Amino acid sequence: MRYQKFSLRILAATIGLAGSAVAHADLFVIANPATQITASEIKEIFTGEKQIAGSVKLVPVDNGPVQEAFLDTALRMDAPRYNTIWTKKSFREGIIPPTVKSGNNDVIEFVRRTPGAVGYISSNPPNGVTVVRKY
Amino acid sequence: MNLTRRIIPAGVIALAVALAPPAYAQSSDAAKISELEKKLERSLELINQLSEKIRKIEQASANNRDAQTKTAQHAEKIEAIEKHVSEIGGSLSRRAEESGLPIHGFADVGLVMSREDNPSFKGRKGAVLGTSLGALDLYLTPRFGDRVKALIELVFEAEENGGTAADLERLQVGYIFSDAATGWLGRFHTPYGYWNTAFHHGAQLQTSILRPRFLDFEHDGGILPAHTTGIWLTGTQGIDRGRIGYDVFAGNAPQITRVAAGSNLAAANRTGFSPAVNAGTYAGSGRLDPLHAGGTTQRTSIGFNAWFEPTAVHGLRGGLHGLRAEIVDNAPVTNQTLVQMLGGYLAYMSDPWEAMGEYYRFRNNDRSGATGTHGSWAAYAQIGYNMRRWTPFARVERSRLDQTDNYFGVQASGRSYQRIAAGLRYDVDPKAALKVEFNSTRKEDLGPGLTDRFPELRIQYAIHF
Repeated sequence: MRYQKFSLRILAATIGLAGSAVAHADLFVIANPATQITASEIKEIFTGEKQIAGSVKLVPVDNGPVQEAFLDTALRMDAPRYNTIWTKKSFREGIIPPTVKSGNNDVIEFVRRTPGAVGYISSNPPNGVTVVRKY
Repeated sequence: MNLTRRIIPAGVIALAVALAPPAYAQSSDAAKISELEKKLERSLELINQLSEKIRKIEQASANNRDAQTKTAQHAEKIEAIEKHVSEIGGSLSRRAEESGLPIHGFADVGLVMSREDNPSFKGRKGAVLGTSLGALDLYLTPRFGDRVKALIELVFEAEENGGTAADLERLQVGYIFSDAATGWLGRFHTPYGYWNTAFHHGAQLQTSILRPRFLDFEHDGGILPAHTTGIWLTGTQGIDRGRIGYDVFAGNAPQITRVAAGSNLAAANRTGFSPAVNAGTYAGSGRLDPLHAGGTTQRTSIGFNAWFEPTAVHGLRGGLHGLRAEIVDNAPVTNQTLVQMLGGYLAYMSDPWEAMGEYYRFRNNDRSGATGTHGSWAAYAQIGYNMRRWTPFARVERSRLDQTDNYFGVQASGRSYQRIAAGLRYDVDPKAALKVEFNSTRKEDLGPGLTDRFPELRIQYAIHF
């Protein structure tokens, strides 16, 4: 009887973990292969603090369908806070906020063809982009 | 169908063989034969039923293959449509990036009830109540290339006479050398302290309605040049324990203009200023002109700002700033003052607390007269507490300005003062804020035994778009 209860608990925990994994799908921060950046610089790039990597001008882009998950996971902030940061940046320094792309394919296509581009996707990264970090 | 054709004859033969009686019994019992025939018929019937079932299964299998083929075709079509939509989206994005001219702005309107006794209210001492148009601030950030950027800011403000004044607040073109160095050329917000570059005309960005009085814009009576036309180098750099940043700039030194004899202040305070200003009776009649059209005085202002943001305290910035400018006025006998400001500031912008304070120390030297060097100072401290959409705030301000310093003595807003202010901000949504603010101000240096203490109540509705 004890063994049965223990087994049920293990099963419930496993199901719970599986459910959690489904709720927070993987996110991949990707960059153009000509862009040399590190995972520790992701927040600086998406808040406009870092604009240059080596000799390349960085071009961060947002991914509309998964933006909220990215802000929560990678930048630890919500959308209003993120937008306020960029309003101030734009007003004070003339920096243009990241363009919002329509989805994974749009982000991948932009990152592939744009030197300095940095984006994030929720699907497995294809060839032709560099994976900076997986969340 | 081929399977059915093979199975049926084989089954019949097998059954026939299995059920066939031995040869020695055939002649002995016709009844048994009849019984066997019946069994054989039932077996054939069973075989037919099985054949029908097999036929149906084969038919269903064929239908399933057709369905799978159709599903695959649909998936291909959907994938093609997705790709097409993605290409259209990408094309539109590229067009927006390549040819777009983003225009954003701030605007505010409000209510004011003030008892200030000053020229703005025609010398009346009484309640002034009315709705007020604040400013419509439009800023543009055109895209030129990877390294070139520009910032254009146009402000439209309602004037006291009912007209509308348009002002090119900023027109600056920059080049990004690296994160540590961006060069700007043009007219920009003078990068001293924290407030002047953090909020400026963005009323919706700042928690309070009013700026600290001594940091007002030039045309509102500010005592420092809020704008400079010149060259500006700025940058930031991450270090082990945080981030450092700097600004260095040089530009046209402002001039004090509209200086006119017979001012009210000179009449009320005949001996409170330098001998030249007392004799000219123009105390408190001039305003700072940043000389954006060109440095006609052939004098230069230079300044710096250096700050540090520690990693250990998120949201904290501490900095030092300085300004040096040789400033003249347009009095009949020109006064010339070397303005030297040095100060520091702290800003803590986090959640839920926000706090900031700035200190400006002046050591101005009289270059045209013999009054020597004069010490003055101005400071403010403000604190706010964010409770989701509500932010109550409070601020204290104080300035002690030497009236024998020609730089302050000639300016309309060059009097010492103290002010306390408190208010409440409500964020209607992330781009709109409703604020109410009460302040009490005491102006000094108006003459022997004279002060002006007045309250104000303001309501402001500020938006960003």
